[in-house]
Amino acid sequence: MVGGALLIAIPLASAFAIPLVGLALKRAAKWVPPLALAADLVIGLILLPRVLEKPIIVSIGGFPPPFCINLMVGPLGLSLAILISFVALLISIYAVGYIKTEPTEKYHALFLLLTTGALGVVLTGDIFNLFVFFEILCVASYALTAYRKDRAGSEAAMKYLIQGTVGSTFILVGIAFLYGLFGTLNMADIAARVPSAEPLHLFVILAFFIVGFGVEAAVFPLNAWLPDAHSSAPSSVSAILSAIAIKTGVYAIARVSYTLMNARGVLVLISAIGIVTLVIGEMAAYRQKDDIKRMLAYSSVGQIGLIVFAIGMATSFGLFGALFQLVNHALAKCLLFLAAGYMIYRVGSKRLADMDGLGRSMPLTTLAFSVGAFSLIGLPPFAGFMSKLSIVCAALETQRAAYLALVAVALAATIVEAGYFFRVVQGFYFRKQVAPDSDRQPIKETPAGALMPIVVLAVLIVVVGVYPGLVTNALRGAANELVNRTEYIRVVLGTP
Amino acid sequence: MDVLARYMYYVGGAGLILIGLYMVLAKTNLIKIILGLSFLDTGTHVLLVAVGYVRGRTAPIFSEGVPEATPVVDPVPQALVLTAIVIGIGVIALALGLAVRVYRHYGTLDVRQIKGLKW
Amino acid sequence: MRKVLALLLVLAVGAGFCAVLAKIPFGTDKVDVANHYMRKGVEETGAGNIVTSVVVTYRGFDTLGEVTILFIVAIGLGAVLFVEKRPAGEQKEEASLIVRTGSKVLFLPIILLGVYIFVHGHLTPGGGFQGGAVMASGFLLLYLAWPRHRAGRRTFSAVESLAGVAFVAIGLLGVACGVGFLGNFLPLGTRYALLSAGVIPIIYVAIGLKVGAELAGVVANLMERE
Repeated sequence: MVGGALLIAIPLASAFAIPLVGLALKRAAKWVPPLALAADLVIGLILLPRVLEKPIIVSIGGFPPPFCINLMVGPLGLSLAILISFVALLISIYAVGYIKTEPTEKYHALFLLLTTGALGVVLTGDIFNLFVFFEILCVASYALTAYRKDRAGSEAAMKYLIQGTVGSTFILVGIAFLYGLFGTLNMADIAARVPSAEPLHLFVILAFFIVGFGVEAAVFPLNAWLPDAHSSAPSSVSAILSAIAIKTGVYAIARVSYTLMNARGVLVLISAIGIVTLVIGEMAAYRQKDDIKRMLAYSSVGQIGLIVFAIGMATSFGLFGALFQLVNHALAKCLLFLAAGYMIYRVGSKRLADMDGLGRSMPLTTLAFSVGAFSLIGLPPFAGFMSKLSIVCAALETQRAAYLALVAVALAATIVEAGYFFRVVQGFYFRKQVAPDSDRQPIKETPAGALMPIVVLAVLIVVVGVYPGLVTNALRGAANELVNRTEYIRVVLGTP
Repeated sequence: MDVLARYMYYVGGAGLILIGLYMVLAKTNLIKIILGLSFLDTGTHVLLVAVGYVRGRTAPIFSEGVPEATPVVDPVPQALVLTAIVIGIGVIALALGLAVRVYRHYGTLDVRQIKGLKW
Repeated sequence: MRKVLALLLVLAVGAGFCAVLAKIPFGTDKVDVANHYMRKGVEETGAGNIVTSVVVTYRGFDTLGEVTILFIVAIGLGAVLFVEKRPAGEQKEEASLIVRTGSKVLFLPIILLGVYIFVHGHLTPGGGFQGGAVMASGFLLLYLAWPRHRAGRRTFSAVESLAGVAFVAIGLLGVACGVGFLGNFLPLGTRYALLSAGVIPIIYVAIGLKVGAELAGVVANLMERE
């Protein structure tokens, strides 16, 4: 019973304590996030076997749900929580050496709070609580995007804030409608009462929620903020945003569509929106030659489109594919942004042409970058191959013309994706480096402290590619949780 | 007209939200856009509180003069709005801070000219 | 063109509003959860102000999240508006005699009012956030009257951190005492007395101090700029 609340209490208390630690000993503040996140990861891994059999319900305040807020630590929530703590742990280790702009202890506090927000979103069982933690995530990311206070970062953060706040308003209006119709805010309770409402009203409310969460998830046409924000933020921030923050938007959409609303008929539309997002993202990424981070940001948009497409498949296998792709994209995109961070720093520019020949001067970094890129394209033996294969198989299994057509488009977009990633990798290894100016430093490898997370991610991608069984067990349980909403209601509320 | 009178608070709340949405989408001055965000927040709060109102009842505060059997309005939306107001002012404060930064870099508050990042 | 598109979008959203709100009759009773709070609220939490018991006890997690957001904003503004070196010789105008005298007279009563509001949060309308905001307005008055003084930025930072840690610590104490995170582990006391309602007054004191320190810090940050 205790473990669940600790998953959120530990990072939260540590984040509150960072200013105090910073006042006492300035250099110690940057070690607080890795410690807190490591603790979270350990707790999550310990709880996982128990949760896969029977989800844990933690009621905050001691009263039974639905009269209080409860955490629903189920397979879906805990798997995502483990992913979040793991990725954030690696990024925080990277950031220890990478973040030099003052005031650094504020960066670390904001980072830890962003992670806490993400953990709260996936673990909670109450819709307004989800909104509050979602806001924690969003506000922390607005502040982190502008962290360098430069021209591009401030403008990108401003646009992100405005669009994000409009989205949040839509979510809050949706919650107001839900409360007005059903009189409760507990997700299981709402799910139990939903059959009593008219489909038109449910459709309008679902539309409000999808628009609201869709801004953060960057589905078309709400993704205008993403390329600016992810390319102008410091690289460790881009990594956490692309790997974790946009996934929470996707999780929220899935939770509202499946568990809350049981929106079977609308799911095809969601898949279609996903494919449109995929096509636009990949094609825009192909056009980016001047800014490697902008290319990676558009690639994130595309991949989110693919995940949303898979979420729209109403089968357990389809959802499994979506979650697997989500995990793989988180690992790979985090790796890509972290590697790109030091590549940009060493070369002094973001242009793709300037990255030529880095295979010689930064061998480990470029090797890891290539591993991440190949995983995203979906080449064996990397992890991305299994997840894309699952999605394609799930689409074929549905035997509905709409999904077959959409998956064909997805495969075509994969070719475009291969195009721009191969272009970069080819530049690393098969082109000569542009002769450096005599007064610039020779390009060295990434420092060891930052290289460690990059290498760990690359190794993990290969390991998951070869032994997918490591993660598929948990993800299968998670997919089942989304599809079996009656089970969800029963676990939280007890048999009515 | 009767519909308006019956649903006055809903119309007010929804109206503020729509005005705020229009301001965010159509205005070109950064401060007016931030003002639009504030309208959106206020409208949502009015809507939430209006959803919780029950005719003929009073505020949900019991004391020695107000015994516990007194019928009161729904306390939950009021708690939600308390949280939402605080979140709203936080976001607006951050928006204004960012606007100060953007103004320092660009020298103007016209969003048509703050386009350093292109397609 | 942009305005026409904006208008169309607004009308579409408005139609959505009409569709759903027509089904939520204004002024009728809602079911279940709210009734439980209304009937059993005082008995279970000991607070006369039901909104307080909902905010602190039944939905205490939301309040924790809300306090966190204010914390993020305070830190975020400190990071975004951070300036390494203060430009030398910044001249700020002295405030007038009326403002200075008035502030000297009003500052303490304003602080006292804020403290009163959050200490009585479980008995009268108000609570931690409202009291904290009133306290911050007292500090705003001080900054307006004496613009050259940068009063205790570090103290605000330390106070808000300590108060935040205290809030989470109270939650964890609830776990240690077996009533769940943020559960009530103190005796409920006599109804409508000042020292009653278990942990609610303590939490509200922590929130009041935190919010006051945070908002004062935010104001100080925004006022520092030219």
